[in-house]
Amino acid sequence: MIVIDFARCSGCSRCEVNCSFFHSGKVGRSGARIKLVKIESIGIDFPVVCQHCRERYCSKCPESAIEIGPLGQIIVSPTLCTNCGTCEKQCPIGAIEITNEIPHVCDLCGGNPKCIHECPMDAIRFEKKTSGIKSLEKYKKTAKGLKPEEKRLQYVIDSTKALREKWLASSS
Amino acid sequence: MIHGYAGHILRVDLTSGQVLREKTDPRFMKETIGGRGMNSMRLFDELKRDADPISPENMLLMGVGPLTGSLLSASAYTTISGKSPMTGILGDSAAGGHLGPEIKQAGYDQIIITGRSDKQCFLFIADDHVEIKSAEHLWGKDIWETTSIIREELRDNAVQVAAIGPAGENLVKYATVACNNSRMFGRTGMGCIFGSKKLKAVAIRGRGRVSLANPPEYLNLCRELDKNILKHPEYKQRKALGSTLLMNALNNIGILPTNHFQKGICDYVDKISGETLAEKYKVKNKSCFNCNIHCSRYYLTKDTEGEGPEYETLCSYTSRIGNDDLEFALRMNAFLNKMGIDCLSSGETIGWAMECVQKGLLNKNDLDGLDFTWGNKKTIEKILNLIVKREGVGDLFAEGTRSLARHFQNNTEEYAFHVKGLDMICGDPRGIKAFGLTYAIASRGADHLRAEPFFELTGRYEEAEKRFGTRDAGDRLADNGKAALVEYTERQALLTDCMTMCKNIGLSMDIIDFEFAARLLKTGTGLNFTADRINRSLRKIIETERRLNIDFGMDSSQDTLPKRFVHEPLKEGPSKDNVVPIEKMVKEYYKIKGWSTNGIPK
Repeated sequence: MIVIDFARCSGCSRCEVNCSFFHSGKVGRSGARIKLVKIESIGIDFPVVCQHCRERYCSKCPESAIEIGPLGQIIVSPTLCTNCGTCEKQCPIGAIEITNEIPHVCDLCGGNPKCIHECPMDAIRFEKKTSGIKSLEKYKKTAKGLKPEEKRLQYVIDSTKALREKWLASSS
Repeated sequence: MIHGYAGHILRVDLTSGQVLREKTDPRFMKETIGGRGMNSMRLFDELKRDADPISPENMLLMGVGPLTGSLLSASAYTTISGKSPMTGILGDSAAGGHLGPEIKQAGYDQIIITGRSDKQCFLFIADDHVEIKSAEHLWGKDIWETTSIIREELRDNAVQVAAIGPAGENLVKYATVACNNSRMFGRTGMGCIFGSKKLKAVAIRGRGRVSLANPPEYLNLCRELDKNILKHPEYKQRKALGSTLLMNALNNIGILPTNHFQKGICDYVDKISGETLAEKYKVKNKSCFNCNIHCSRYYLTKDTEGEGPEYETLCSYTSRIGNDDLEFALRMNAFLNKMGIDCLSSGETIGWAMECVQKGLLNKNDLDGLDFTWGNKKTIEKILNLIVKREGVGDLFAEGTRSLARHFQNNTEEYAFHVKGLDMICGDPRGIKAFGLTYAIASRGADHLRAEPFFELTGRYEEAEKRFGTRDAGDRLADNGKAALVEYTERQALLTDCMTMCKNIGLSMDIIDFEFAARLLKTGTGLNFTADRINRSLRKIIETERRLNIDFGMDSSQDTLPKRFVHEPLKEGPSKDNVVPIEKMVKEYYKIKGWSTNGIPK
């Protein structure tokens, strides 16, 4: 899975840019499977991407269009998917989002994630065999009814609390 | 099909509420490229010359370039243009962050805002959806609050917001516009135009993508550029310190503005340097869209936090006004960014007042009882608050130094360091002569970014001879060959502005020449850009900006520098005994441009 060291992230979007380019030949956030969240007022930058969570919420697909690949990545079948939106609704951190009738989610570029190579801050790592370690249960309840962008924001604010505390302690 | 460009121009008239979308004309784009070139040509074609800058007649243009928001490193910028309320001539300012790519993704190459709303408003653009929304609840809020509130209301944290603060609302002449809280459209008062149109912000969200004519070839070019950035000799220091590296760099060559350019060496530079800032307060790097230098920084002190500051803010609020307290400067940086005032113009008004008080030309009674001794922090804070609210003497300060000195007279005009009404940046031209020429001839007033002839600081003498006909062009203290250097880098700077890239990568690091840019533009857009064709366009745009300024009432007598830099040699250090022979240099520049001796294009 892709591991984010958000303390190092400067918020440049190169992960998004390269993700979009290598998936669609074009550049835009809507084409990216990794989405940067910037909260300028507290200095936080954090690219949100599928965490291969223990619960695998998105795999509760009513059409069985989602399967889990050998690297733990999510694979969406374009023929089975009916664009019903269940996966988007299920994911508690907004890591899967439907754009132009296609569920966009990280596919690890088949094992060679392009975002990793293009991060000049070394804030993104690819770790094999970490599937199923992280639980996202704590975000599930509060994510209900939120749009993917709002879910990502909620996840980022919660995940970066400790970093903020560290910064504040070091400056006082 | 045309690639790179988004394909549409958006026109919004705030008086009538009318919204029009028109197709981007490929022929117009071939001539103007994008960004600043496109904006300046649009002003030339459409703006009434006698329009009052703060009237509904003035135009407000937001332009991006053909490759903005693409795979190209640092293709992050947006240029905002209009007739400057500060100077009365061409005004424009560029900033990075993430706004430009969002404008592009929403489908626009340029947004043209005219008229004046009768109610306080903000413009919301989500792809084809364009809406003028009420900003009554946002009026009076600072830039950071405004950005947060808009995003919360729209339930979308990814909305990019270009906003003004209270200074823009109150028509401070050098009010800024900001995106991503701290990326500032700083110069020439574009925030004042926002305020005059009762426009608090432009909030934009795009779901489109930037297409490319030849993606594989374009990818190769971008990777080639990336390699050149990473192996550049300045890369490491730029990444660690960003522009704040200039505090020590300029002090080392004796041109760090100290006590309002009375000295070029600052005794306490170690207390206020970029290195000290990074060591004591930086918690991480920050970056504009798709950059691989990441020169910006996030800092925390015990009472404030924020992004930046850039060199110009740091110097303006430390050595230039005699302040050795770095934490205070950081607090002022956050204050300026929240309220939306330009660091350089506000800093110059303060430095001017301090020098005038020192010389006995002004006293406390002239200045609402404020004590303008060097580095007086209480006074600095007080006057900034008065400027934002336009209260008391702050109302005069809010007009800028040119107008301020005209008000007080009594020889104070000699110490108002501006060209054409725009206050000087923090680089003493006596030790960097090509920069001096740039301040004098730049089409928006005393500004380095119109040419940034960084080359003269690199000591590449043999290359200087090859490219500019004399080894002197590589010697910062020589005036010989500088007109040729400036004529070249002026085109390079304009190209960077047209492509809306960062000037560090597009210009200062000297790694994008016209041939390479042509290949990028051609593989990106599919239009037949060549180095020759680009240069023809760039020359035409420079000439057009000149004509526009002449129409606005500018003449060649204004292509000069304040007296100190021409007649008063620096007294110490590595730039000792130098002045700028500006008259001679300007004449040589006109000659190279093929303009008349009065600086009029033929």
